[in-house]
Amino acid sequence: MEEKSLFILKNIKVKIKNRIILDNISINLKKNNITGVIGPSGSGKSTLLKVLSFLLTPYSGEITYKGIALKDYNPQKYRKTVSYVQQRPYLFPKTVRDNLLYGPKLWGIKYNEEELYALLDLVNLDPVFLDREVINLSEGEKQRINIARSLANKPEVLLLDEPTSALDLLSTEIIENLILKLKKQDLKIIVVTHNLEQTKRISDEVLVLNAGRILDHISIDEFLHSRSDEEIRLYFKKQSSNGGNQND
Amino acid sequence: MIDWLNNFIDSALLIDAGRRIILSLILLAIMLGLSRWQHTDLEGSFIYGFIRGLVQIVLLGFILVIIFSLQSLLLLYIILSLMIVFAAASTRRTHKYPKVFEIELAGIAVASYTIMTIVIVLGIIPVKGEYVIPLGGMVISNSMALSLIAMERIYSDLEHKKGMVEAAIALGATPRKAMNSIIRDAIRASLLPSTNRMAILGIVSIPGLMSGMIIGGMNPIIAAIYQIIIFLMIISSGFIADIIVSYYIIKIVFDPNGALKPDYSIE
Ligand SMILES: Nc1ncnc2c1ncn2[C@@H]1O[C@H](COP(=O)(O)OP(=O)(O)O)[C@@H](O)[C@H]1O
Ligand SMILES: [Mg+2]
Repeated sequence: MEEKSLFILKNIKVKIKNRIILDNISINLKKNNITGVIGPSGSGKSTLLKVLSFLLTPYSGEITYKGIALKDYNPQKYRKTVSYVQQRPYLFPKTVRDNLLYGPKLWGIKYNEEELYALLDLVNLDPVFLDREVINLSEGEKQRINIARSLANKPEVLLLDEPTSALDLLSTEIIENLILKLKKQDLKIIVVTHNLEQTKRISDEVLVLNAGRILDHISIDEFLHSRSDEEIRLYFKKQSSNGGNQND
Repeated sequence: MIDWLNNFIDSALLIDAGRRIILSLILLAIMLGLSRWQHTDLEGSFIYGFIRGLVQIVLLGFILVIIFSLQSLLLLYIILSLMIVFAAASTRRTHKYPKVFEIELAGIAVASYTIMTIVIVLGIIPVKGEYVIPLGGMVISNSMALSLIAMERIYSDLEHKKGMVEAAIALGATPRKAMNSIIRDAIRASLLPSTNRMAILGIVSIPGLMSGMIIGGMNPIIAAIYQIIIFLMIISSGFIADIIVSYYIIKIVFDPNGALKPDYSIE
């Protein structure tokens, strides 16, 4: 069972405005692990996540989810199932409740108050947040609502695009713990990160991207042993200035 | 043909018009004098503009007399169609959006044909060129203006709220659903000014159409009723054009799988 691939990508190429953004991407991603995606800024990490969630249609190549080609899915239903969480939290007006229920309303998923509290509890937020207006939230709270909003849709796969790059240590820890908890609940997680320690803590394997190509797809330990410290530093160089210094 | 031409030539009106134009040459003389005095070197332009404008507008007058006397529905629709194509084509110069001609053509055409057909079939306006063409012209130019406001608004809102639209799509929303609030705001922005102008009719504004009709000798109550009708025609056709335009824009900025195209561009 575990050995079966969830995603199979064959020769994926993405072109935007005639520029090749991803090239020759062939990977198998398994279900019960956490995949960290690393690579320098502009290497195509976000683009890869968007391809996986069908937010971008590749120029060429094949991609299947659970053995079925993406083009054979209803795109909306697919995106609900394979949920892309943007790097920055673009929350809807007006309250936290409006945001959490946006997806469920689209899909006819019913939530009672208790279930909404449970959702907030997953991201360590008190029930009083439910009717707060999102403009009054801190950056860390917004990002946690951003993730909870996707989880409200009950996805099978969560694609997190640098979820902690703009966050303080506390919010970062909360999100890392959430990721580990979700893994136990049978959710496949693919997470783009720039933080070496974080990758070590949460990833089972890493996907190394450079200039739109896959360099490596190995366990985090193998990666750390096969690369020089200098190279490793290159991959985990922080690109945002406000994320605090979490790279020991 | 000969009949109405004779009407004009014989008319005392013609003599009267001649007298007025000759007297108004005094204004032209003042302009020339001022230009000479102020060394603005505009004398040539003034004379050229005056003669050219005079010839054009008099010719237009004759053409309008012919068009206004038309009672053939087919001919009237052909003229309206030409006006629609010209209106749509004129947007290409001012609005550099993708496919603006096709979008505006579809929006203006559907809106104008629908509204004009309704008012003609219901007998709200007579099947005469003097009604169908000027009212049709107003419907066409307003559908164009209002739907361009909606289009501008949709594109600029999309630019600002791209992240939110992408978030909605990522949660499984259809493009239409993800664009809901943007389109709603754009339609409101496009229709509210005309709606407000309708509400202050007669108090703050004395509209051109009504003034013209009264000057032309129409009963003021009839003129007033036409004025309110034209507002309803403008707003309803603008509404239809807005809806068509917004659907069309969705087709342009989203791919067939319902995701925002990464490379849609406002040139
Ligand atoms: N919508 C777009 N239009 C033009 N170029 C884009 C677009 N999206 C991504 N790119 C380009 O694709 C490359 C990869 O981008 P991205 O996947 O965001 O990289 P990463 O997430 O690794 O920083 C970058 O060079 C970026 O400029
Ligand atoms: Mg990125």
